[in-house]
Amino acid sequence: MKMSQGEVKGRFAEPYHPEQFQNHEEVIVFTREEFNRTYRALQEHINHIEKIYFKFETGENWKLLGYWPEIMGKTHLLDVNMDSLFKKELQQCYLDVYLNNIIGDSEKKVVPSRRKVSVKL
Amino acid sequence: MRYSYGIVDKKKILLYQPQLFLRRDEILIFPSRDFHAWYGDIKEYLDSLYQINAKNIGESEPISLTELTLAVGIINELAEELECLFDCENKVDLSYQYISTMAERYKKLSSNYSSDMRKCDIRIPVKPEITPYLKYQHIMEIIRHAEREFERSRSNLKDKPKNSQ
Repeated sequence: MKMSQGEVKGRFAEPYHPEQFQNHEEVIVFTREEFNRTYRALQEHINHIEKIYFKFETGENWKLLGYWPEIMGKTHLLDVNMDSLFKKELQQCYLDVYLNNIIGDSEKKVVPSRRKVSVKL
Repeated sequence: MRYSYGIVDKKKILLYQPQLFLRRDEILIFPSRDFHAWYGDIKEYLDSLYQINAKNIGESEPISLTELTLAVGIINELAEELECLFDCENKVDLSYQYISTMAERYKKLSSNYSSDMRKCDIRIPVKPEITPYLKYQHIMEIIRHAEREFERSRSNLKDKPKNSQ
């Protein structure tokens, strides 16, 4: 698919590769950060399902009883992520991530030296 | 997710909803029809996974190995389709577009974690810590209440014969 990154400048968007698109073509524009997040989430879920499959050995069919709901859970998440591409609302789970990501206090208490440090001249 | 359609005008793109984006936002631009075709393809794969699951909803037998391999095959196709989005050489097939019409009831996942299990797992934190002193006070309260009730019933019994006379 022909695509390009770009930058928003007011009412216009300036693509870095304008030659990819034809004149008067309709395009859809996403923010790179949000699309990146969703795309990586999709890849993560797919990897997880594949890992479940690799873990599974053919002799142990009874384990499928437990693995299958996990696989279906991940497909549900894939579905939710795909739906979120066209939803205008912000996803609550990502907002929660940002809320919890509090950077700790980096102020270290400086203890004054009790001994005077001798300076060798 | 914030998205907007736009139209290519010479070397710029006129956005239909520019108010959603901040100035100097980094954006990704896709052709609209190609993107919808890609989206439909991914949705089709996901719906097929739901279909495999839906077949097993009423059945007593659990999922079989063949169905698992089928599902993993679909997942591999899905992964490839996902990568096609950023593959410039790839020509998108615009002759076919899938729109998901699957009913929501097939997407409901029956979990083995029942509501009873959840009630057992809920741990309600109690504000006052239950100390042995508190337990003793609680028992004493019950005993005192029982004592009062007992005295009351005994006094009633004593009164009644006197009143009847």
